[in-house]
Amino acid sequence: MTTTVAQTGSFPSPYSIETPPGCEGWEEMYPYYAVFDEHRREADERRFWFWNSMHFPVPHPAFDVICIDSPYQAVGSWQNRVFAVPPAMGIDYRVVNGYVYISGNPVTDPEKIAERAGYFQRRAGHYYENWPELYGKWKDKMRALIDELDALVVPGLPEYEPDEVAFSEDRNTAFYEVLDAYGRVLRLGDLMWQHHFEFLLLGYGAYATFAELCKANLPDIPDQHIAQMVAGIDVLLFRPDAELRRLAGLALRTGVDGAFAEGRIPAEIEAELGQTDAGRSWLVELEKIKDPWFNMATGDGLTHYYRSWLDDSSIPYASLIGHIAALRAGQSIERPTAEIERERDRLAQEYGELLGEEIRGPWTDLLALSRTVFPYVEEHKFFCDYWFLTRWWNKVREFGALLASREFLADGEDIFHLSRHEVASALDELVLTWATGGQPLGPAHWPPIVARRKQLLERLATWTPPPALGVAPPEVTDPMTIMLWGVTTDRVREWARQQEGGSELRGAAASPGTVEGIARVVRSVSEIADVREGEILVCGSTSPAWAPIFSKITATVTDVGGVMSHAAIVCREYGVPAVVGTGRATSEIHTGQMIRVDGTAGVVTLIGED
Amino acid sequence: MSAPGGENASDRPQVPGASYTRRLDELQAGDGGRFGGKSASLGELLRAEIPVPPGFALGTSAFTELMSAVRPRAEVDAAPDAAAAADIRAAIRSAPVPDAVRGELAARYAELEQVAGIPSPPVAVRSSALGEDSSEATFAGQQDTYLWVRGVDDICTAVRDCWASLYSTEAVSYRARLGGDAGRHPAMGVTVQQMVDAEISGVMFTCNPVTGDPSMIAINASWGLGLAVVGGEVTPDDYLVSKVTREVVRQTVGDKQVEHVPGADGNGTTRIEVDDGRRHEVCLTDGAIRALVDVGRRIERHFGSHQDVEWAIARGQEAPEGLFVLQSRPVTGLPARPDAPAPASALSLIMGKFGAA
Repeated sequence: MTTTVAQTGSFPSPYSIETPPGCEGWEEMYPYYAVFDEHRREADERRFWFWNSMHFPVPHPAFDVICIDSPYQAVGSWQNRVFAVPPAMGIDYRVVNGYVYISGNPVTDPEKIAERAGYFQRRAGHYYENWPELYGKWKDKMRALIDELDALVVPGLPEYEPDEVAFSEDRNTAFYEVLDAYGRVLRLGDLMWQHHFEFLLLGYGAYATFAELCKANLPDIPDQHIAQMVAGIDVLLFRPDAELRRLAGLALRTGVDGAFAEGRIPAEIEAELGQTDAGRSWLVELEKIKDPWFNMATGDGLTHYYRSWLDDSSIPYASLIGHIAALRAGQSIERPTAEIERERDRLAQEYGELLGEEIRGPWTDLLALSRTVFPYVEEHKFFCDYWFLTRWWNKVREFGALLASREFLADGEDIFHLSRHEVASALDELVLTWATGGQPLGPAHWPPIVARRKQLLERLATWTPPPALGVAPPEVTDPMTIMLWGVTTDRVREWARQQEGGSELRGAAASPGTVEGIARVVRSVSEIADVREGEILVCGSTSPAWAPIFSKITATVTDVGGVMSHAAIVCREYGVPAVVGTGRATSEIHTGQMIRVDGTAGVVTLIGED
Repeated sequence: MSAPGGENASDRPQVPGASYTRRLDELQAGDGGRFGGKSASLGELLRAEIPVPPGFALGTSAFTELMSAVRPRAEVDAAPDAAAAADIRAAIRSAPVPDAVRGELAARYAELEQVAGIPSPPVAVRSSALGEDSSEATFAGQQDTYLWVRGVDDICTAVRDCWASLYSTEAVSYRARLGGDAGRHPAMGVTVQQMVDAEISGVMFTCNPVTGDPSMIAINASWGLGLAVVGGEVTPDDYLVSKVTREVVRQTVGDKQVEHVPGADGNGTTRIEVDDGRRHEVCLTDGAIRALVDVGRRIERHFGSHQDVEWAIARGQEAPEGLFVLQSRPVTGLPARPDAPAPASALSLIMGKFGAA
């Protein structure tokens, strides 16, 4: 029998977390293996778990668990089973009150590490040596995958099968087609996640090695200078906003800019544009850029809540309004790429000259390699997390509509409150009763479950998850934890200190400058529209997809994130001071509060109560 | 005007037949043996067109001349005990400065008066030690400084005080430890330089002295004359600035409780309390920081090594015009470079990152 450890290190034991009142039974939304179970207590209680608020910022819906399982299956496969990263296997996750906590599995046996090193050197070496060619093929694979998803038809259930089923030998009945389509949608999602992580470790690894070499020889170099030296100038991620800037110019030139008044919603703007020839031609131009540039998500979390600009155009229109206002005020809205490139090369040149001769050669090579791999790091997000995933959620929605059409669900959107296995089961009964003509139980069975889970998620949303659970490690060594989540030894210590409260939050200095202002806490993309000119954005993590509002805000503070995150890159691009990875800004700061953000030192000070 | 003037060397009046003195801008590194390290390094700074207040250097020959008159050479050169050293100090202080030396000092001061454009300009009189201008020599009391000195008589007194410091207890025992010629034939140059009425002053390193980062400039700054910072009487404002982008990457505002200002009668200096408001006020503007970084980088390039620079900003003036460099010496005792295993290649470094080296 194990004894209860109420407090381990500075973080609560995962077994001491209480269920918020009215949220009893939340576990039903998650797989049996996703909880802190008594059978694993011995081990789990001694591990270090941190809340992955970057990817899972809100209580996680049941269907969306696939976006926990699949990425961790994929990252573990590549890291542990393909590249055999010597000291690290994969990442385990557990759900507490609807929030996802993660913990890496280390390899500690020196013999095992040596054995893995042999695999890693051969396999990773192959990737680094052939990067441009392999990455070119990867983009082809991703485009093909997206095409396949687009081509996938979710069949309906007709009263009578068409004649072809009766008269042709290669046609299947709808029962098979529906189940097959569902299986294929799930498999395509798995495949995307597999592709997602193929290059990720190695991409971040090259960058992190370069950053480390810089810091060993230039101990005080700001992280943003390292990022600036490596960052791509002409990466896909900047294209959507670049296209909007172009269209803003077009609106002004063709005299339709009057439609873009502050405060208008997309439908109002489009209605006015639709009344004139010039407005209609502008809308035609807009239509042309939508494929693919509107395949941006409205946020970064791995949940169905984040739609694409195609589904919800409020972000691109807010951006257009801002760009047009800036142009009217005589400001330039062009992204100064030539200047950014010059500055990037100047930094590399000057830092190179400051280094000792013996280090300069490898440093220069490593910078070149980092620049080679970094486009992937920046672009995989567009291909995978935005373009593919927003379309994939929509494909799932089609199955929701199918279930709702036979009253298995009150609303198609309710599908996200069933696990992917429950959906499979509901579809089984749906096609069974469609085929037999019998009375389905689904319409009585599923809606109460959905209703209960909606209420659970609503209640769990008001609970604030602690940044970490379990035993604080003396040192964070897992390369992925550090590279992807920015969870370093210092960060963990800072979280531990903040457990006791305080009026100062520390994080990584992601974008320089100091700003004082009114905080706007944004917990979900639906609150983005509330952001007012001049406010400081406080959020779980920012998405580069939010970039357009960066021209409105004066600083950014996030709970999680590192200086090499896309969000940090965008902040630097917009010259907006940013402190990322504070652990709990969204729970410590409230909207309307006066705060000071020092993006140079990485400190956020809470100044006033209101 | 309160700031030191600056004309071209060629425009200035000359002191014909000078043998004991040189204008600072006539000196270079090789003159350290005759005029001491401080004067020679100020000469180098002027050659690099760094803004240094005008002044002149008194060579070691002046000291030798006086000593030959003070005591028989043999007696002086012997390592004195404490009582003998005190005798020698008293003798140096009371001996008349040889006429030829005094005459040249007066001519140089007159020259400086002309350059400064004010009568009896205040000067700083500092010892300019031979050999390495090391911190240990400073500690040993061989680096005396007399500030806000006016007129030839007071300059002569300050010069003799500098010389006398060669026989301070600390200096004598320091030489005894060093041994060799320096110990047997001590000698010293003196630097006389127009005062900067410093509103702000401090120290700048052309690297981070704590981490050794060569891409950083570290600046300490406080109100008034540099004594407060150098003497550790205040917690100065602390800035760490990137040489590459000139961004301030770290800034800590200090508690600057006191400052040294010119004495009420224009002679000497006084230590006063800083009022509460200014104590915690940031002393350097962005422009001043940029000017310091620019000057620091030029000094570093000129000497080809990291430098420890004393600087001041003249009262009522803004940098860069009001910024003056008072001294520069090589930085010593930097942390050793990390024992980074001489990286064979970029790829081997990445392998190491993943634990597969």
